[in-house]
Amino acid sequence: MNRNPADIGGEDAGRIDTVDHGMKFWEKQANALRGTLVGRKVVRLDELRRSAEELGSRYYELAYFERTTEALRNLLLEKGLLTEAELQGKMAEVRGRYDA
Amino acid sequence: MTPSAYTPAPGRRFGVGDRVRVKAAHPPGHRRTPAYIRGKVGAIERVCGMFPNPEELAYGFDGEPKHVLYRVRFSQTEVWAQYEGKADDCIELEVYEHWLEPA
Amino acid sequence: MSHDHRHPRDQDEGPPCEHEIMSRAMQELLEEKGFLSAEEVRRRMELFEQEYPQRGSRVIAHAWADPPFRKRLLEDGKAACAEWGLDLEADRLIAVENTPQVHNVVVCTLCSCYPRALLGMPPTWYKSENYRRRVVREPRAVLKEFGTVLPENVAIRVHDSNADMRYVVVPMRPAGTGGWSEEQLAKIITRDALVGVTLPKVS
Repeated sequence: MNRNPADIGGEDAGRIDTVDHGMKFWEKQANALRGTLVGRKVVRLDELRRSAEELGSRYYELAYFERTTEALRNLLLEKGLLTEAELQGKMAEVRGRYDA
Repeated sequence: MTPSAYTPAPGRRFGVGDRVRVKAAHPPGHRRTPAYIRGKVGAIERVCGMFPNPEELAYGFDGEPKHVLYRVRFSQTEVWAQYEGKADDCIELEVYEHWLEPA
Repeated sequence: MSHDHRHPRDQDEGPPCEHEIMSRAMQELLEEKGFLSAEEVRRRMELFEQEYPQRGSRVIAHAWADPPFRKRLLEDGKAACAEWGLDLEADRLIAVENTPQVHNVVVCTLCSCYPRALLGMPPTWYKSENYRRRVVREPRAVLKEFGTVLPENVAIRVHDSNADMRYVVVPMRPAGTGGWSEEQLAKIITRDALVGVTLPKVS
């Protein structure tokens, strides 16, 4: 059965890290990006959730904001709002800004 | 009109207190009914209202017509095979009408 | 390292990881295409930083101090907040009260649904897989990991916010707070108590 990787209620698991580790600046910005896109109806929250679920086993390999970022990317590509070439190009430009 | 957490659900099938079973179905795709509650019997705790179907919204459809959403209360000993808490512990979650049958 | 005023970042955080680069790239492309502005994103960040996290404890402190408001909050969380002057935006708030017989705890097993317009961002533990997996099945063991042990006779009620509604716990007001102002009360109402993993304490 191809179970949704997000559907994990009731599974066995180890200790919870009960400390709130907060968010890095980029994570706060990613969170605000997501909220702004949903607020402006560019994407729906339900679509973002479904996109995250479609990550399959990768869902468990990614930290929370890595997951939401990849889910957003996949959804934007799916909707044709961005192309892979544009994204790669812009990522190279952004990467270049931070190189020493 | 003051905003409300709830919306009207005039055509609803179930009322508060009704015993219901969550369908033991396992369809593919985006669902908001967790696997752990499927097939379980509980009681309607409150009617939340009518909302667009998230199973459709997730794929770019408008989710119309809206479906009735309920909060359903389950006894934990009903949900988990070897529940280690108290007999009166319960769990409550939101279940869409199309996932419910009378129990 | 070039400094881009439109797109700041904390230099302390070291070089950006791949996902930070991806997220920034997506945002800049979407800005260029006119889907949103950097200003809108910044304003939302400010709301999450400065406004939302203050609200939950104020609302519950008011509920403790004002019985009719408490009653209204429990009937319809969103309406009660709106009538009090607090716009919870998209959050359809349901307030659940702790009593001497029942303790409430909230989770979103499927993702991380949380009343963000009332409490701000959820803590990392709320979003963690282990919390999502375990609290529905062994709530007492989970509460114990947070240092919370409930009296023997108290039943636990877990709320999985799996669809359209959002939840906040109204903890019991501790003894020794008689005559306190709402501001004083708000100080002991922690975010963790509003999710239900701890209890407010009089220090």
